[in-house]
Amino acid sequence: CVTSDVQAACRDTTVTQELLKEGFHRDLQVKVELGEDAGGCAVAARIHLPPGIYVDPYELATLQQQNLTKALLIPDVTDVEAPEYLATALVLVLFLEADPRCSRCFRAAVPVHARYHRPAEGSQHALVALESPQVLLCCCHSHLAAECWEPAEVGAPCSAENVGPCQWHSTTHRAAREELMLEVPVGLREHSSLVCALTLLTTLLCASLILAATCRHGHFS
Amino acid sequence: WLLNPLPMAVSSRGNAEALVALLVLATLYWVEAGGVGKAAVCYGLAVHMKIYPLTYALPIALHLRSGDGAVGAGGDGKARPKFVVHIWRLFVKTLNWDVLLFGTVAGSVLAALTFAFYHLYGWEFLEHAYLYHVTRRDIRHNFSPYFYMLYLTAESKWSFALGLAAFLPQLLLLLVVSIAFYRDLAFCCFLHTAIFVSFNKVCTSQYFVWYLCLLPLVMPSIKMSWRRGALLLLLWFVGQGLWLAPAYFLEFKGYNTFLFIWLAGLLFLFINSLIIVQIISHYQKEAQVTKKLKQR
Repeated sequence: CVTSDVQAACRDTTVTQELLKEGFHRDLQVKVELGEDAGGCAVAARIHLPPGIYVDPYELATLQQQNLTKALLIPDVTDVEAPEYLATALVLVLFLEADPRCSRCFRAAVPVHARYHRPAEGSQHALVALESPQVLLCCCHSHLAAECWEPAEVGAPCSAENVGPCQWHSTTHRAAREELMLEVPVGLREHSSLVCALTLLTTLLCASLILAATCRHGHFS
Repeated sequence: WLLNPLPMAVSSRGNAEALVALLVLATLYWVEAGGVGKAAVCYGLAVHMKIYPLTYALPIALHLRSGDGAVGAGGDGKARPKFVVHIWRLFVKTLNWDVLLFGTVAGSVLAALTFAFYHLYGWEFLEHAYLYHVTRRDIRHNFSPYFYMLYLTAESKWSFALGLAAFLPQLLLLLVVSIAFYRDLAFCCFLHTAIFVSFNKVCTSQYFVWYLCLLPLVMPSIKMSWRRGALLLLLWFVGQGLWLAPAYFLEFKGYNTFLFIWLAGLLFLFINSLIIVQIISHYQKEAQVTKKLKQR
């Protein structure tokens, strides 16, 4: 049967992602091992960031200026202060560098930040699910095996050199995707009444202290 | 001030606090020196750069109305008039030539700057400079005692009422302090900003620079032993340290330390209030003024 031959001819591209560091500020590291040779194409990964996580566009711009990271954020502006329930999802196209450890390996890292999530009942953490990235190739002059790579529509321009037609490609055969989970601490709804009561009481107390001192020592004549 | 490590560290995050401090100090200097017009220009520029000096409008107006720390409308020997009558007289008599000049010049400078920048940058300027403060929803952890309460109630029907309840002590204290201490403008403005920052819904280290720049003006009037002053300073740093520790574990280690951060925020408010009360209690400018009057 033709189909199985075609699939057997294309070796799987493996993509792994990892979240380094802890807390709200992490580094997302993406590693890709291509099944076939890249053939002079630029390798990138398209990452869908859910509303619970974001990339700071200003931080990204600084990193790009220092040639430490190359990436495109779509859309390129985001409210960095918004909580998760008021934020929108983002798409990040991260260009990968050749990994010296193996011949068809590529990798890159980008700093990501977690947003504040809704307070929860009975749980101290909220979970953010990060889908597995999609591997993309940006090819300008090379020919790729048509069975393994198909043209893709990415809402971003290809590499810097604009010589001839450059086209994005993605894999025809999608391997099983693994989700990466990020734990974000959240406030507890059970605390609401206590917190409101004690906060207002304390502020009233402190305000009274200052008011009393002002009335005693201030000049009201 | 330029070599002070605190404003240096704060300014490196992208805010030219030293400039605003300079403008505020210039405003106070010119008001004391009698250059009302120049003070108004500096004031307009300061408000354009940062909105917080707007709270100084009331003390400056009261100060200009009465002249240089002169005795107020009511006589000294007679029985003190009723508080309400006194407040009414204070506000009705506020409009004199100096106050009108100050208000007009400051207002014109601010309006001219706003118009010029709107012409240069359009709607984006208005949004980022002014409207942003009205619609901003930042519930991330900060020194404010209200942070956890606002975070937990962000989507509830009580959100607006609680926001208002948080605003009232701040407003009341600012009014009372203005009326009590307007004769010493630097002291009044120092208290204003210290209270404004401590009771605000959002409070970060950057805001401390706003009242610390006025502390050198105020220190000669505060008769406090070195030991007491050092103890209060230590208490202030301890309050911040107790907040920074759980905040670090939340943000950089991912532990759920919200309760600790909230309690540390309440403690920090209490410490700030204590320091303000101590400063008010040990304020003795009046002794110097009466001495000068007697010497004439």
